[in-house]
Amino acid sequence: MNFKTAFQTVALIVAGIILAIVANAFASRDRKMTLAGSYPNALTVPSHETAPPPTAPLPPVSDVTTTTAPASATTATEPTATAAIETVGLNPAARNPMATTSTAHTPTAATSTAVTSPVPTPHPPLPTPDEDPLKRFPPHPDKPYVEIAFADVKWLHGKNVLFLDARRTSVFEQGHIPGARPYSVWESDIDDKVKKLFDERSDPSQQALPIVIYCSGGDCEDSHMLAQKLWGIQFNNLYVYKDGFPDWQQHGAQVHTGANP
Amino acid sequence: MKRLLTHPWLTIRVQIALGAIFVVAALPKIADPPSFAHMIYNYRLLPSSLINISALVMPWVELLAGLALILGAWRAGARMVITFMLAVFIIAISINLFRDNAIDCGCFNVADRGKTHEQRIFDMKVDVFRDLGMLLMAGQLWYAAKREEKAT
Repeated sequence: MNFKTAFQTVALIVAGIILAIVANAFASRDRKMTLAGSYPNALTVPSHETAPPPTAPLPPVSDVTTTTAPASATTATEPTATAAIETVGLNPAARNPMATTSTAHTPTAATSTAVTSPVPTPHPPLPTPDEDPLKRFPPHPDKPYVEIAFADVKWLHGKNVLFLDARRTSVFEQGHIPGARPYSVWESDIDDKVKKLFDERSDPSQQALPIVIYCSGGDCEDSHMLAQKLWGIQFNNLYVYKDGFPDWQQHGAQVHTGANP
Repeated sequence: MKRLLTHPWLTIRVQIALGAIFVVAALPKIADPPSFAHMIYNYRLLPSSLINISALVMPWVELLAGLALILGAWRAGARMVITFMLAVFIIAISINLFRDNAIDCGCFNVADRGKTHEQRIFDMKVDVFRDLGMLLMAGQLWYAAKREEKAT
């Protein structure tokens, strides 16, 4: 490579860096990024999960979970509180959600069951409408989050639990779970938002309150990343809505549009 | 054959086409850096601290190199940048194909299209072939430049 080529190459790269920094400085809030991000598992390849074989049919979920959903949405295979999946069993020292076991259990020990088992399991008593969310969803400081399904999410939504939407703000504005706040992990103001939440809930008793985080379901990991961030600052009762917003819509549950929660 | 491959008629068209491809590829990434950062994250090849800066800088370098090729200015530098980037893209996608990590390439579109694992794997193979094709175009530019240098 001669001097001319080397000079031009370096000049193009330097010009690119300058333009990128200037453009980022003037970018709108949801387009701006911090120069150095913090993403757990950036080098960990996720395992490719194939769909589990169909399990034995479950009875319809309780009224609590389907009040706004059409009857057709409550299918026989719809996961209930008994089928909430915890895929993260973290060693607090390691704090690596990818190094997990896939043992399934619900937030409450009394309702544990293995979802991958084709053998039908007995169902726990259905939750009562006036049950305390903390009783059914106690803090779990040993792991950053527990994955839950629609039935639990709907129940928690009915209890006015805090919902955080980890998708991009532009997507949030197109439709989100009523009451949810936009907390995109990819946008530059995420640390400010997390700090604001910490200030709001600085008391340990408030940090133990359940928080539901969701993104787009499927292989979307934004909600898991946000949970990791919050867990890192002492929030110890975080739930990730495994199937995310598409599942919420599929169930016909209420959706809000616009920038406001 | 050599004359045909290094003919200015072909070289100028390859140069403009390759430049245009890079400009078109850069624009959606410049418009939405966080989505591109997400795409880079999905490759699982860069450490956390380098993801954002790569998502910010890479599209601008792509754009400048593409524009340089189209305008015929700083062709040597643009060729070098584009060849290097294509090599990086091919290696990055190939590593993930090997690891069975199905990702959206993020080459021309940074929106998550909700594809299945199989669709993504198929698209990644297509992307590698497409990038190899572009690498051949870059190779033609190098070859023509070398012949041009020899002639002068």
